[in-house]
Amino acid sequence: MASTTTAAPPELLAKPAARVLSEALGDRILALSDFRGDLAITVERSAWLEAARLLRDHAELDYKLFLDLCGVDHLDRPGHAERFEVVLHVYSVSHKHHIRLKTYVPESRPSLPTLIGIWRGANWFEREAWDLYGIVFEGHPNLSRLLTHDDFVGHPMRKDYPTARRHLLKVPKELLLEVPEGNEHLLINIGPSHPAMHGTFRAQVLLDGETITDAEAEIGYMHRNFEKMAEERTYWQIIPYTDRLNYCSSFMNGHGWALAVEKLLGVPAPPRAEGIRVILSEFSRIMDHLIAVSTNVVDLGAITPYFVMFRAREDIYELLEACCGARLTVSYVRIGGLSQDVPDDFEARCRKAIAGVRDVWQQGNDLLTRNLIFQKRFKDVGVMAKDEALSWGWVGPCLRGSGVAYDVRKDHPYSGYESYDFDVPVGTTGDCFDRYLVRMEEIQQSLRIIEQALAKLPQGPVITDDRNVALPPKSEVYSNIESLMNHFKLVYDGILPPQGEVYGYTEGANGELGFYVVSDGSKHPWRVKVRPPCYNIYQAFPHMIKGTMIADAVAIIGGLNVIAGELDR
Amino acid sequence: MAVNVVTVDRNQKAGVVPILKGHWVTLQNFWRSLFLRQASTIQYPEQKRPVSSRYRGIHVLTEREDGTPKCVACYMCATVCPAECIYIESGERPEKAIEKYPTRFEIDLLRCVYCGFCVDACPEEAIIMSRENDLVGTTRAELVIDRDRLMARGKLVEHGAGYRPVDHDVRRPVRLKALERLKSEHGIVPGMPAAKTPRA
Amino acid sequence: MPKCTIDGRQIEVAPGTTVLQAALDHGIHIQHFCWHPDLPVDGNCRTCMIEVEKMPKLQIACNTVIAEGMVVQTKSPKATEAQRTALEFLLVNHPIDCPVCDQAGECYLQDNYMRYGLYDSKIELEEKVHKRKVVDLGPIMLDAERCVLCSRCLRFEDVVTGTNSLQFVNRGDHTQIATFDGGKIEHDYAGNLADVCPVGALLSKDFRFKMRVWFLKQHESVCPGCSTGCNVFVDERDGEVQRLRPRRNAEVNKSWLCDPGRALYKQIGVTERVSGARVRGAGGWEGVSVAAALDRVAAALKDAGAASAFVATPQATNEDVFAFKALAETVGGKLDFRVGDPQLKLTQRIDEVLQRADRNPNTQGCLDQGIGKDGVDAIVSACRAGSLRALVLQGPELLRIPELVDAIAKVPFVAVMATHEGPELDRATVVLPAAMWAEVAGTFTNYQRRVQRLSAAVPPPGDAQPRLELAAGLLSRLGKPLATATARDVFALLAKATPGYAGLDYRAISGLGAALAPAGGADSMASGEARA
Repeated sequence: MASTTTAAPPELLAKPAARVLSEALGDRILALSDFRGDLAITVERSAWLEAARLLRDHAELDYKLFLDLCGVDHLDRPGHAERFEVVLHVYSVSHKHHIRLKTYVPESRPSLPTLIGIWRGANWFEREAWDLYGIVFEGHPNLSRLLTHDDFVGHPMRKDYPTARRHLLKVPKELLLEVPEGNEHLLINIGPSHPAMHGTFRAQVLLDGETITDAEAEIGYMHRNFEKMAEERTYWQIIPYTDRLNYCSSFMNGHGWALAVEKLLGVPAPPRAEGIRVILSEFSRIMDHLIAVSTNVVDLGAITPYFVMFRAREDIYELLEACCGARLTVSYVRIGGLSQDVPDDFEARCRKAIAGVRDVWQQGNDLLTRNLIFQKRFKDVGVMAKDEALSWGWVGPCLRGSGVAYDVRKDHPYSGYESYDFDVPVGTTGDCFDRYLVRMEEIQQSLRIIEQALAKLPQGPVITDDRNVALPPKSEVYSNIESLMNHFKLVYDGILPPQGEVYGYTEGANGELGFYVVSDGSKHPWRVKVRPPCYNIYQAFPHMIKGTMIADAVAIIGGLNVIAGELDR
Repeated sequence: MAVNVVTVDRNQKAGVVPILKGHWVTLQNFWRSLFLRQASTIQYPEQKRPVSSRYRGIHVLTEREDGTPKCVACYMCATVCPAECIYIESGERPEKAIEKYPTRFEIDLLRCVYCGFCVDACPEEAIIMSRENDLVGTTRAELVIDRDRLMARGKLVEHGAGYRPVDHDVRRPVRLKALERLKSEHGIVPGMPAAKTPRA
Repeated sequence: MPKCTIDGRQIEVAPGTTVLQAALDHGIHIQHFCWHPDLPVDGNCRTCMIEVEKMPKLQIACNTVIAEGMVVQTKSPKATEAQRTALEFLLVNHPIDCPVCDQAGECYLQDNYMRYGLYDSKIELEEKVHKRKVVDLGPIMLDAERCVLCSRCLRFEDVVTGTNSLQFVNRGDHTQIATFDGGKIEHDYAGNLADVCPVGALLSKDFRFKMRVWFLKQHESVCPGCSTGCNVFVDERDGEVQRLRPRRNAEVNKSWLCDPGRALYKQIGVTERVSGARVRGAGGWEGVSVAAALDRVAAALKDAGAASAFVATPQATNEDVFAFKALAETVGGKLDFRVGDPQLKLTQRIDEVLQRADRNPNTQGCLDQGIGKDGVDAIVSACRAGSLRALVLQGPELLRIPELVDAIAKVPFVAVMATHEGPELDRATVVLPAAMWAEVAGTFTNYQRRVQRLSAAVPPPGDAQPRLELAAGLLSRLGKPLATATARDVFALLAKATPGYAGLDYRAISGLGAALAPAGGADSMASGEARA
């Protein structure tokens, strides 16, 4: 498991990142681990910047995709060098490899050099780590509150910050930008309550005529600190919270969470459960893409596709409701599988939904793709180059629109995706049109996957029979003491994973949705960090729209599919 | 890179014809909605969208044959509730086979997220959810419902039962044999007595 | 010191240690039911089976003494199968009572099933043997069906209280525990029966159906009921104390706690507590802020000077008393605490198990700090003579003595720190709200001169403050503030100033306390620690 370079087993040291970094840093590497297959390297604080640069630039490593950076508070936990830990997750598209780089910062001087110079995406993540933990990043241009409001006092993710404490915001921040003197410029807010903002997030732009000369984003309106709540809930109780992350494709969040915890436990779900999860996740992806496309064009004045495409969502919602009793807040997954099997008319409902999606897809396609106005509004608007996208940490349809064919389902298959035939659409230009085409094609591919999964769906249980993880069947609980005791222990004690940490990731509708889970062996996770795909995507937005016209900014924002629940958590 | 990568086709020629095609799509929808009555919308509240038998609506406390709650105030539901919205106080029942019952059982419907974990956690099938989903109150206090409201049957009969325990039907072989033996030799079928709550 | 290997770990133990004791002391858990650290070994449950190299049959860990070079496997396939089947036998007739059983959350069967069981049941409900349920034994409820016949309660009744109230009756799988003729448990240690019972067969009637234990947060403290100073856990939820449980301390109370001590938790709640300061004026009592009340008291003390007296209480912590003494010395008045002469009863037992005659937890602490200075009689005489202008009471004991009412009435200014309301408080001029033992951090020194720590479990009600802070507030108003006001730092000060306490700090006395040399030599410790 975890060991220093001297004590590490040779297979661990042979991994490229481990080898390169240990050759360069020697005994400034404090620990190496491949718990549950995740390569994690802890370095001394002095080596942080150097290690990060090596990860990105070394030819054998090439970790160009920025995923996540977060803080962890190990207050009063034995076995940790300092109180705070900073954890970086990056990915190499060329080598298909995830890596975790960690370092400790002491409570007396919680600071680290910024990684902005290496990955642009580090900006908001470091700001969030300052906001929630009080870790200072030297050289960061704007270490100010991001998710909490400006009158907030304290750092809420710290373990000694009481969860129930409240701070009132008396006067919200009016100006995000510096307004030059004179009448040449117009300052306007886009959001947070604005129909063009698909969720409660804000951008403020400075206009010269119709052209945007400066822009800044403000988020946090929907910040409920899911991650702090997760530290006080059992792994089972966190499931309803996950539905409220990306609420347009809520089932997928639960799927991702369950997979992350199952990875931590080393307990897989049975094949039937995985098959059903794939079907419902793909339907959720379709729902999310239908929303993304149709609400995007509503802002451009094309309202019809919205009315048409939402009809298919109704069929999918009815399918979900028939399975678990709720349309959006499904809470259908369980650690180790699903809460119950699908109803008898599952396949019939799926076929109805598939037909419905096919119909509205065709209609939407007919309404939009070859429409002259639509193409003029979308083509060559909001171009995001490949390398920049990786540096920001773009994933999902937005990244694929820029020409990078990274899809977790293909490159790191889970839940049986390796057994399904499907294509990964990519764009060439990285403009709004490409992102639109990618999403439309993904809907078609999702339908392919669903049909295959339905055909291959095996019989069997829908939850693991590991009694440390899954509730026993009710017939057992009612009739024998052993199952009753088992049930009781799982309810009041909960699942008790081994000590350790994992990064579990799936292909959400917006891209790689990750859950970094740290367990101290108790029934509550010590730390949960959500890697929200649209967080990195929205971070680039103010930079993308500088120099464009305001109407283009509206076209761009819809296509990024920013969901506030996932953005702010 | 990954196999099965397809590049999207940007060269889809725009023009006047696609715009006309778009009009045609809209006209078809218009026709369907107005003359074929195939609109997606319904006239609520005269028409209501039916929900499935697993719907997670407002909770119901199930009852024994004598009409008292099945609930024995074991606190499983209050423990598992992620929203911490169930409040229970327990008291002694004179029947030694039952022993415990809830003197107070309150659910704050405003805090509740209708996840159904309380139903999953209950070891007595004492709490289920109905299909009641039209919840209206004029004060917050009104929406903190108590044991009597949870036992009331009016709404349950009106809307039907929703989310409730379903046997996973994975009885282990040893027990299946034992159950068969009990039935054939002694005529005993173990299990909880049938509930009187109406099932749709 | 024999060395052995348990599960691959090398362990050195004192001679006579059993495998179970050695394993538990080193963090290796072995299932057990009938073994208890403070009861004689019985070896009847057979759940602690372990494999010992060179011994052909499995052994019970609770009664296998470690020999030099012994190699023990607690998790070998043979051992785990024996542990599982032993547990299975205990559960054969066990009723499906978890929903109505208070033991859930601290039940050996539940915990051990998850660790050592996880097997499929082979028993039908209808086949189970039925026994008596909901049997009222007075302070304890008995449910004979849940009993696993471990005999812990029988052994407790035999060697600890000597009352032998419980016995096994019937035989085979109809064996039950019972009292003679259905009689009730009639000694002061019935609560321990519920504690020793590993399952829900014997449960506290006071705690019955009150609260599920997994909602409770536990805090370490010391019972204030008498000078024995039994170690306790204070279990609370959301600031409300639900029960007290004994905390094992082999030198003081072993695993036991008396029933009157357990009942003390009821005094902690908010009702009848003094939760605000008040001052008696011409028109009656007026509620004021604590700061305003302290201003009044400080003014009266400045005026009185040496014509004052200070009566501490052995209910207060060492830290409270230290600050109070500093106050008395600053003002220059008389000082004592011995209302009712608790020091004469300090080590006297009133039964053969735990309880002592001195119903105060910190008499020894007061003696050690020299609080017994001028004599209570002298103070009372000064009151009678009318020579006192101010009287400050750290507790209301003096006000409760009817014979002294007229004497106290002669003192123009009487300030009292009180935790509970009572008619005696009407005899005071200023009432200051004091926090109770479960609401403060601090230390008590018990009859053995053992200094033990309390931790605050719940917040004090309303404006109530620790007595330490009340005295510190007065000291700063008199121009002689304490260097610090946290209990931890005040203890450091008093350790320097008190003979015998040198070198002690909170870390040193954490957990099980620190024993000091007996004040008057070994003879003053008349009766030693808890019986059995």
